Amino acid sequence: MGPKATEKKRKVQDAEPESDDEIAPDFDGALSQSEDEFDSDFDDNEHEQDGEQESGSEASDDEDEEGSLLSDDIPSDAEGDKAMGKLVLEDEEEELEIEIPGVDPKRPEKDDGDKNYRVEKDANGNERYVYDEIDPVYDSDDSDAQEAPNTIGNIPMSFYDSYPHIGYDINGKKIMRPATGDALDALLDSIEVPKGWTGLTDIHTGNPLNLNDDELELVRRVQMGMIPNELENPYPETVEYFTGIEEKMPLSAAPEPKRRFLPSKNEAKKIMKLVRAIREGRILPYKPPEEREKEEEEEEQYFDIWQDEVPQEVNPLHIPAPKLPPPGFDMSYNPPAEYLPTKEEREEWEKLDPEEREKEYLPQKYDSLRKVPGYGEIVKERFERCMDLYLAPRVRKNRLNIDPNSLLPKLPSPSELKPFPTVAQTVFRGHDGRVRSVAIDPTGVAVASGGDDGTVRVWELLTGRQVWSVKLSSEEAVNTVRWRPAKDSFILSAAVGEDVYLMVPTHASVTPALDQASRDILSAGFGYATNGQQHGAAPGKEPPAKWARPGAKLEDEGVLIRITVRSTVKVINWHRKGDHFATVSPSGQRSSVAIHTLSKHLTQIPFRKLSGLAQTASFHPLRPLFFVATQRTIRCYDLQKLELVKVVQPGAKWISSFDIHPGGDNLIVGSYDKRLLWHDLDLSIRPYKTMRFHSEAVRQVKYHRGGLPLFADASDDGTLQIFHGKVPNDQLENPTIVPVKVLKGHKVVNKLGVLDMDWHPREPWCVSAGADGTIRLWM
Amino acid sequence: MPKIKKKGQAGAAKNYITRTQAVKKLQLSLPDFRKLCIWKGIYPREPRNKKKVSKSATASTTFYYTKDIQYLLHEPLLQKFRDQKVLEKKISRALGRGDVSDAARFERHAARPEATGKPRYTLNHVIRERYPTFNDALRDLDDCLSMLFLFANLPSTSAVPAKMIARCERLCLEFQHYLIVSHSLRKSFLSIKGIYYQANIQGEDILWLVPYKFNQRIVGDVDFRIMGTFVEFYMTLLGFVNYRLYSSIGLKYPPKFDQLKDENGAELGAFSLEGVNMATQGETKAVTNGEEQEQGPDPKVQAEVDKIIKQLKEDESKSDETAEEDAEADDEEKPTDSIDKFEPVAPGGDVLPQPAYSSRDPSQLFANFTFYLSRETPRQPLEFILRAFGCKRIGWDSVLGEGAFTNDESDPSITHHIIDRPVVQAATNEDGDGEDNQTAQKVGPNQRYPGRIYVQPQWVWDCVNDEELKSPELYAPGAALPPHLSPFVKAAPGQYDPALPLEAQQTEAEAIEADLEDAEKGNAEDGSDVENDMDVDEAEDDEEEEEGDEEAEEEDAEEDEEESKTLQRQLELEAELQGKKVQNKKVDSKTKAKLEQRKAIEKKAREEAEDLERAKGMLSKKKRKLFEQMQYTNNKKSAQDEKLRAKRRKLEKEKAQKA
Repeated sequence: MGPKATEKKRKVQDAEPESDDEIAPDFDGALSQSEDEFDSDFDDNEHEQDGEQESGSEASDDEDEEGSLLSDDIPSDAEGDKAMGKLVLEDEEEELEIEIPGVDPKRPEKDDGDKNYRVEKDANGNERYVYDEIDPVYDSDDSDAQEAPNTIGNIPMSFYDSYPHIGYDINGKKIMRPATGDALDALLDSIEVPKGWTGLTDIHTGNPLNLNDDELELVRRVQMGMIPNELENPYPETVEYFTGIEEKMPLSAAPEPKRRFLPSKNEAKKIMKLVRAIREGRILPYKPPEEREKEEEEEEQYFDIWQDEVPQEVNPLHIPAPKLPPPGFDMSYNPPAEYLPTKEEREEWEKLDPEEREKEYLPQKYDSLRKVPGYGEIVKERFERCMDLYLAPRVRKNRLNIDPNSLLPKLPSPSELKPFPTVAQTVFRGHDGRVRSVAIDPTGVAVASGGDDGTVRVWELLTGRQVWSVKLSSEEAVNTVRWRPAKDSFILSAAVGEDVYLMVPTHASVTPALDQASRDILSAGFGYATNGQQHGAAPGKEPPAKWARPGAKLEDEGVLIRITVRSTVKVINWHRKGDHFATVSPSGQRSSVAIHTLSKHLTQIPFRKLSGLAQTASFHPLRPLFFVATQRTIRCYDLQKLELVKVVQPGAKWISSFDIHPGGDNLIVGSYDKRLLWHDLDLSIRPYKTMRFHSEAVRQVKYHRGGLPLFADASDDGTLQIFHGKVPNDQLENPTIVPVKVLKGHKVVNKLGVLDMDWHPREPWCVSAGADGTIRLWM
Repeated sequence: MPKIKKKGQAGAAKNYITRTQAVKKLQLSLPDFRKLCIWKGIYPREPRNKKKVSKSATASTTFYYTKDIQYLLHEPLLQKFRDQKVLEKKISRALGRGDVSDAARFERHAARPEATGKPRYTLNHVIRERYPTFNDALRDLDDCLSMLFLFANLPSTSAVPAKMIARCERLCLEFQHYLIVSHSLRKSFLSIKGIYYQANIQGEDILWLVPYKFNQRIVGDVDFRIMGTFVEFYMTLLGFVNYRLYSSIGLKYPPKFDQLKDENGAELGAFSLEGVNMATQGETKAVTNGEEQEQGPDPKVQAEVDKIIKQLKEDESKSDETAEEDAEADDEEKPTDSIDKFEPVAPGGDVLPQPAYSSRDPSQLFANFTFYLSRETPRQPLEFILRAFGCKRIGWDSVLGEGAFTNDESDPSITHHIIDRPVVQAATNEDGDGEDNQTAQKVGPNQRYPGRIYVQPQWVWDCVNDEELKSPELYAPGAALPPHLSPFVKAAPGQYDPALPLEAQQTEAEAIEADLEDAEKGNAEDGSDVENDMDVDEAEDDEEEEEGDEEAEEEDAEEDEEESKTLQRQLELEAELQGKKVQNKKVDSKTKAKLEQRKAIEKKAREEAEDLERAKGMLSKKKRKLFEQMQYTNNKKSAQDEKLRAKRRKLEKEKAQKA
């Protein structure tokens, strides 16, 4: 193949000069030359490969040729390179101007003129090209030496648009613009596209610019960023310097050592290790993968794991998972008809969020087993059970398996607790506006009341007939009315604004003797008072109260004394003996609590300072103790030693009233925050029982004073609640408190219901004063 | 001076540990920790006071006992998890390098525990720790069985490998075989979720659920990794339990498994049980196989098997206090261990409760029958139940799989035919022939073989639950079935029981109310339209009255009576004004009496409510809350019962009207 190729190449080489001769220097020449170059390249390539394969006989020949070819090649390559550089450069400008010096038409001529080789015959009779010696001077291989035919330089060609020439050659001669092809030429061109036709015009020569395949390939390679010359291998294989050369002689002539022929001890050790491992079963002999897989599939080996079972004590902290409840009737595929949901129940169930449903399924009836579908949620339910088993905190819940009724205390039945008031026996009407206060006289025949209309009225208890009335003030309301507790008199006290009046009402039961006795008691203090006042009043200081006669008009009605204190009196409470009474005026700062002595017409202010607003005050029924209730606490003072004995803390936010049990050891407290509290004074300062049965504030609380174990409270919700409260004689026993009755009847006016109540001194009766202007007797 | 105690150094703060802390302490990943907790049965605790326990400001949700976690620290599985982690790391690193062959080598080696110390683990020791005795294991078998039976019916996916499903199925079938041989199945219930079974093994009641044989729909938010962890544990557990159960009745475990038969859908029939002492002889006995008689087994083997089973039964009766008399051993002179029945000789004595006494052995309920299952019936549960209750010969259509006693429907030995088909009209007889060529070749759609009892499948379940053969007429094909009741509901006094007549359960008030309604209805039918209106009026008034009562409970009954009297008067007046005939409440004396009775009951109820209110007032707050809670649940229950009774009354009435 080699010789043929070379022949072919030589033919081309031969043909080259001929063609050059014939054709004028025009693009055709360039074309042929480029073709030629391509061919020579191709041959060269082949030839190189051949040369490598062939024996050294033609080596010299080839080498020679190669040298020549290479010398031919290199410039063209370089030119190509340059051309490419230009091409790219020009590309950027809009106008495409391509100048390829390598393919200029003059070059073939040059080649023609002085051939640099001659043909000789070699030893085999083949043609041999002998090339001239290259004079190795500067420029001898300079590709730059070939200047451009047009010398105008790098200026826009548009400058020459209006001239017939397009520049000047090296000799200063004009290069004329070649005639542009007329329409016929264009047509012919379009019909017969010459090889390498690009459709571009070489701007410097004005000729059509044609590129051969080789050049196009070059352009492509440059554009692709590859090495332009495809022959050039950037990574040639290394030739090993040392091992590439086969050494004929050994480096050492020493004989093979013996150990080369003996089995290795080290290896024997390793092998023995493996053998031992195999024997011991640590390493299993090789098995094909399928067999091994099968082995893996083999079931786990089961054995009697509980062979030597020992029952262990149950860890008290361990809580076994609760079992799922067994299915009920409604889960049956064919449940009794009553378990099927109605339409509403079904809708309700469907409306609910799945998590809120009480049951995750709806009972359903299928009339045959074959119609039962699969249950869609079963995987989910099982999954949820799994989650519960490992994620849900377990808590032991003590389920009380007892009858709830056993929790209830055994209360005596209401019938055993009788007597207590149950119905409204009498309704006393007559007051205009609210009735603020009500009181039954110590003998239990008359009821006194005072209200917003400023009158104090006395009523017959059983009949409800009004027997006496006096108007104390036209502007201010009667805040409270209280009877003097002693039975030897018939004295009523009433508070209107800052005044406290003491009066002797007329009543059927009041004999003239009793009337006179009462008047005597009231007037007895006048003589003493004048002395006392002179004695007690410090100069410049206003007395705490003024005792005076109210005036002739009122005196005729029976109102005998008026005591004026510094601020509005809200509460009056008498000492059991009837000589002292305490008044409380919550707005009265320092002088809010005052103790008045009737026999001396003397008023004292026991507290210079009080923590909190005084709400109410009361004397202990047996001992010389005095209780004052502020908003939150009740303070107990010893009147003899003049010291604080105890502070009771009911825990209420605002105490409205309190009452002391006739026995003296217990206390009930009513509060505006709807509570009724029972205190055992011996037990604690905290309440023994808290009762919250009212929906509104508790206004008044009262024990029955006549020996019956009753107490009651009056509330703004319009009811009175009657409790049975027995205080045992035995100190160790706790008092029993039983609610017995709710008395309803008063109407709620402006959120005010029952404002005051009082017990009958002997009977289980009570009277209540309502905001609706009525007084009711309950029995 | 005593040492000052620091906060968080003792007590609850030390006793509890949050999950994050636990995971950190064990140096595990969260999934591994989850696995460990599931296997070791460690669950979170609810501390009494969360605030004291949590050291951080944010509320932690899950707390464990510190002791529990400490106990996990010594778990051998922990090391396996770590090994596994290391291996996974190695493999992933090899894969990251792109070294697939290396990764494959690691994986391959991992499968060979001997070569590389691979993290292969068994859960044997965990089972032993969690269930120190066999009875402990039985107690926890409910969830295990439900889970495995569910997985045996799942389709295989990437999360649930087919191998796992096959193993679940096998274990379940083995367990069923034990129940069949030992006759320990007690009850079964067809629910809408699936079939519940209850067995009694060594005195322990075990209840599990088997889904119907349908392709299970898997809802999205189910994590099969968690389920898989449970299943792995349960499989090991059931394997050991099965071993113990089999060996306790002298059978070899695992039983011989016929792959070919299994592939043909033999299910239970694919196993053949063998006795332990016969194992050397290499002879097997398919205990449940009905074909055995035809094949003619070796008489020697048969005798031995009989001996074993007999022995087993004796053992059982000895161990079980409430065991029934052995049906086969009917020698009267021999004293038995079972409890004697005490019959009252004379009336007047108290009846003392005695353990269940039955004259016949329920385990031999179906012993003398030959069943044939029609092809639309569920074969697996029926086969299992029938076998467990003594049936030896069960045939079915060949489409239901292999292992039948006979596939021939016309076999003369068949006594019971279970069928779940609607009765086809005679007109479609010809068409039907062409369509179902399986059975129609032999029999027409409605054709029956004489001398055979045709029943619907529910008959089997009801028979089993009541331990007696029910009348087959009720369960004839096409008949409306009687309701299927759950055998697991224990009748509690005062609770609604659908099996009892309504009259025996309803409260007095309800009965009166119902009677009144009846009477009113009767009146409405008898009287004129006007009367009817009036009745309605009256009813409304009554309602108003009642509402009033609720508001003011104090109002006395006398007042009520007065009011009703005035009402009556008013009604009469109105009627007169309208010129209609005076509506005499000729409501027969009986109704009147009832009305009074109702009033009395209402009054009593009101008084009771008042008393209750008073008594409740005296309770402390804590006790009152408790009481109200109890009342709430009780009321809810009774309200439900009442609703059921009302519904039933309505239904019965409708029925009566129709009749």
